[in-house]
Parts: sequence; structure tokens; C-alpha cells
Amino acid sequence: MSELATRPGTAARGDTTRSAALAALISGVLAIAIGYAAAFWREGTPAWAPWLLALGIPISLGAIMILGAARGQRGIGPLKLPFLFVVAVLAIAFCAALALPSTEGPLSKLWLGLPARAALVIYGIGLLPIVVLPVAYALTFETQTLSAEDLERVRAIGRENRARSTALANAKSDPQLSE
Amino acid sequence: MTGYSLPGGLLQVALPSAAQPAVIIVGALYFAVIIAISVWAARRTRTASDFFVAGKGIGLIALTIASVSVSVSGFAFIGGPGFIYAVGLGAMYIVLPAAVTNVMGAWVLAKRMRLLGEARNLITIPDAIGARYRSPAAQGLAAVAMLVGIVGYMATNALAMGVVINSIFGVGLAWGIWIGMGVTLAYSASGGILAGIYNDVFQGTLMAVASVLVFLFVLGYGGGLGGISRTILAHDPTFLGPWGHLTPLAALSFFFVFSMGSLGQPQAVHKYYMLRDPLQLKWYPLLKTLGLLLVLLLYFGVGVGVKAFVLNGRLQPLASPDQATPSLLLNVTPIILAALVFSGIAAATMSAANSFINIGAAIVTHDLPIAFGRPVKNELRWGRSVTILIAIAAAITAQRSGTMVAFLGIFGWGLFASTLVPALAVGLNWQGATRAGAIASIATGLVVTLALESAAYHKVFTFPAGVTASAVAMVASFLVFFLVSWLTRQSAASELDPDVQLVMEL
Repeated sequence: MSELATRPGTAARGDTTRSAALAALISGVLAIAIGYAAAFWREGTPAWAPWLLALGIPISLGAIMILGAARGQRGIGPLKLPFLFVVAVLAIAFCAALALPSTEGPLSKLWLGLPARAALVIYGIGLLPIVVLPVAYALTFETQTLSAEDLERVRAIGRENRARSTALANAKSDPQLSE
Repeated sequence: MTGYSLPGGLLQVALPSAAQPAVIIVGALYFAVIIAISVWAARRTRTASDFFVAGKGIGLIALTIASVSVSVSGFAFIGGPGFIYAVGLGAMYIVLPAAVTNVMGAWVLAKRMRLLGEARNLITIPDAIGARYRSPAAQGLAAVAMLVGIVGYMATNALAMGVVINSIFGVGLAWGIWIGMGVTLAYSASGGILAGIYNDVFQGTLMAVASVLVFLFVLGYGGGLGGISRTILAHDPTFLGPWGHLTPLAALSFFFVFSMGSLGQPQAVHKYYMLRDPLQLKWYPLLKTLGLLLVLLLYFGVGVGVKAFVLNGRLQPLASPDQATPSLLLNVTPIILAALVFSGIAAATMSAANSFINIGAAIVTHDLPIAFGRPVKNELRWGRSVTILIAIAAAITAQRSGTMVAFLGIFGWGLFASTLVPALAVGLNWQGATRAGAIASIATGLVVTLALESAAYHKVFTFPAGVTASAVAMVASFLVFFLVSWLTRQSAASELDPDVQLVMEL
């Protein structure tokens, strides 16, 4: 197995993509935590608290996806753009929903059947990422996620592990063998 | 959120009687198909691997539809549309994360869990945690946390089945619970997850068809989405604002809990072990997202449609928001469509119940014995026995106390999220995570969720608007995970086996 796997910890060093993603994830979660903590203030939830969630959520989601997609020293390769796009779409849609004035009324202009801010939320947050992320996942699958060669490496380890377990079980059931 | 259950199950509401010939015939046909699939699957279940992970031999399309089926409970058909009816578009923040959660799960968990399954022959989620941290204690604690959440899910789903079956056949709530659990138990115990998967395929297809047809009907009846919006904007413009009648913090909080929290939902994550060929993961997120989109059309369509129909007088005002779907089906849509949807609701609850029974049985017969160093020899036989016990316990709990069941149903999603996401989702992708960090994080999620939910339920403590126990527990669990892992960082490398490290680096 030692030929197939590397020593623990070696690849973690210098892995700047994962380090950056982890830092972003911690920052995003901290922003969300502060936003929640602010809601407990006696004077009521401050106006800036939802903004922390509006930024913290896209950052933390983008960060954990990058953490999952990064491959050793190769980072995330061509996935930079799709990730950037989706984080930006979420952040812009949340922030626009917070910042744009409330103008919904009987005479509101409709965008695909919904008033502007609602359309931003339903189509921007609910549909745009679908067009980009799963397609990017599929198109980069062999290079960025899993190749037949990767799978064979792991299956070889699995065969070694099973052989070792079987030998161990046999040794336990027949002490003479282990001697 | 008072009065609403989150997607742990159907609401504890009394559905109106739908016991008309067409509904009863479609309902009976539905149960006949379920039984036929179960008999077929039972003949193919011979080992514990068959029973718990379908022998790791499910094809892409079947797994995708099954995963869609277990990802939505009766909430998507009853509680969700009612929630939109009550609070407007703010309720959409529960389902909007579906646009990113499936592909996020694929990048963060699917490949690594499936490869760990190949390398170590793993069959459960606590197995993956145990292997990642080389720690039976972490595996056992994760198993306990999941079991607590499953108790809640099972009780609410048992009650939900009783409510739906009573509505279809008019047999009474108590008989509805026993019939629903009896059928689910029959296929869970005989065919295990194999029966569950192929029943899920049938149930998921039924749900998608029913959802699309209802959505199209609502659009036609309301003069298109534009017509529906115009009606609502004339009476209640805030309803179609970006947050509806919720505060921005509350709506964003839903998005956070239901996006990040999806990485800890065992009914979906467990499926990653089952795909026959791991290379087929390539199309899994796209297909599952599209499938979910179809199933969730009803959630949005009925929610806004019924609001408009009540506002313009085409429907009577509802006695409670939960009556939005039943009121539309029984008063407006053709009865055959109502019959399909009622069977779809039964399908959603049974699908979720089956999945949780199977996961619960695996925890009791596989994970906990391993954590205590005493693995059982015949996991298949024990799995079937425990499946029966779990189902009976859930049915009895559902019969005994509606108040207690309502409480149990509240925390399922949040408990899975707060206990599993940092240790599993981050842990499988960050070699700096430590065993101590994982154990502290799981314990934090468990204790904080139970303490805060209990305090809120017993009105000892009231959260500020927009803050939920689930969200606070998940954030606390994350922060503890990072902090303790950092404090114990010297041990990180030594806790990682070479094969696990390889899987994490690929």
C-alpha cells in the first residue's frame, strides 16, 4: 500500500488553493456567526446583520466547493470561472435584494412573470447556478474529479486491504498459522 | 416558523378526506406496485451489503431518481406550499439551495465517500468518519447523533403516513399509521435498501409527474405566472418581495441551513456508496438537480397559485395554511390529478421512512457494535430484526403523542447538519482536521441542538426573529471543529492512514 499512497501530511504543504479555501470558509462562517450574534442585541437586529449573511453564505459555499474540488497541487484548474460566477451571482442577488428599494405594486413591471426583486431571487439564485455548476462538473469530471486511472489506484488499495483482512482473520481463527 | 415543521416530515395536520373512488383506486394501484417491487427485491437480497448499500450496484438513473425521492418529504407537497401561502417568497429560501447543493455534495463528498467505499468496503456514514479519523469513538458518536435525529424523522414520517393514508382511504389515523408503516416495514425488512431504491424510483417518478401536472394546471388556471403575480400584487405586494413576509435575516438563515446543512443529510449522502460505477458520478449532480427542480415545481406553484386564487375569490379562504394543497386538489383540479398527488404524498413519506429505517438499522447493527469493539457476525439477520424494531417503535411513538412527535420532527435536519457537516464534509477535504476536532464538533452539534431546541420548544427561551437553533448549532459546530483541530494540529498527520490520504488527495 505504501507504494500506492503517499505519506500523511506531505501533500498538504504548499497546497495554496486548499489553504485559501479553508481561510475563506472560516471567514464566511465567522461572518455568519457575527450576523447571528448581532440578532441577540437588546436594541434589535442591526441593519448590517443580514449583510454579513448575504456575503458570508456565498463565500462559505464557494469555499467548501473549492475545498472539495481541489486536487493536490493542481488546484481547481478550469473550475475557477464557474466557482467565481456562482459566488458572484449569489452575493449580487442577495445584496441587490437587500439594497434595492421596495417597489412591488399592482403596476410593477414583471420579468418572466415576477416583479424585479422576486425574479432576481427565483431566477438568479434558483436557476442560474443550475445552468453553470453541474455542467462544469460534468465537463471537467475526468481531469478534475475522477479518472479511470484514479479509480484503479484506489481499487488496487482495496484489494490489498481485503487480502490483509482475510489473512488477519485466518490467523485469528487458526493460531498455528500466525506462528 | 411557529406552526410549521421543516422538511423532516409532513406537518401534523388533519388532511381533509379525499376518499373518493378515483383516489382510492389510484391509491390501491400505488400500493400494489410497491408490493410487487418489494417481492422482486427481497429475492435479490442475500448479504448485508445488499441490504444496506444495495451491493454497491445501482445504476445512474435509478440512483438519481431514488435520491430525488428521498430528498423531499411530504413537506414539499403539503407544508411547503402552505408555508409560501403564509409568508410569501421568503419560504422559497428553503428550496432555492437545491440549485447548488447537489453539485456541492458531488464535489465535497460523493467522490471521496465512494472511493473510501472501494478502498475500505465501507457501508455507512459513521464508517467514513471512523476511517477518516481512525477513531471508533468518532464513528460511535456520529452514529449516536444520527440515531437521535432518525428517531425524530421516523416518528414524524410515521404520523405523516397515517395522515395521508387516512385521507385517501378513510381508515382512521391509527390504522393509517399501522398500514403505512406495515407496508414500508415489509419492503424495508425483506428487500432492504434494494427494495427501497426501486420503490424510490417508482415513487420519485410519481412525485415528479404529479408535481409537473399540478404546476401546469395552476399556471393555466391562474392565467400564467404573470396573471397570478398581478392578482397578488394588487392585494399583498410584500408577498412577492424578495423576502416575502419574513425578515431578510430569517430568509437568509433558511438558505444557509438548507444549503450547507445538505452536506450532512444521511438519506442523500448514504446514496453515494451505492452507485455501481463511480465514474457515472459525472452526470449525477445535473440529473438530480433537474429531477429536484421538477418535484419542487408544486411547492412554488401551489404556494403562489392558491394565494392568488383565495385573493380573487376563486377559492374559499383557508382554515390554515397547511390546507393550501388539499384545498386546491379537492376543489379545483380534476380528481385524477388529486389522486396522483395524494399517492405522491404517500410516496414521499414512505420513501423517506424507508431510507431512515435502513440507515438506523445499519447504525444499530454495524456502527455501534464497531464503536464498542464487538462487531456482529450476521449483519443481514440483525439488520432485518432491527428494521422491524425501529418501524414498530416509530409507529407506537407516532400513535402516542402528537406534541412529542411535533417536537421530534423539528430538529432532525438541524441535528444531522450540525453534527455531520464539519466532521464529514470538511474533514474529508482537509488533512489538518483532527480526531479531537471531529469528536468535539459532533458533540457540540448534538448538545447545542438538543439544548436549544428543547429550550425553545418548552418556551424557556425565545430566539430573536430570523435565528434558529439549527443555524446556531451548525455555526457553533463549525467553529469548535476549526478551533480544536487547530489546538491539536500536531496530531493531524499521524491520524491519517495512507489509503485515506490518497483518497483525500485525488
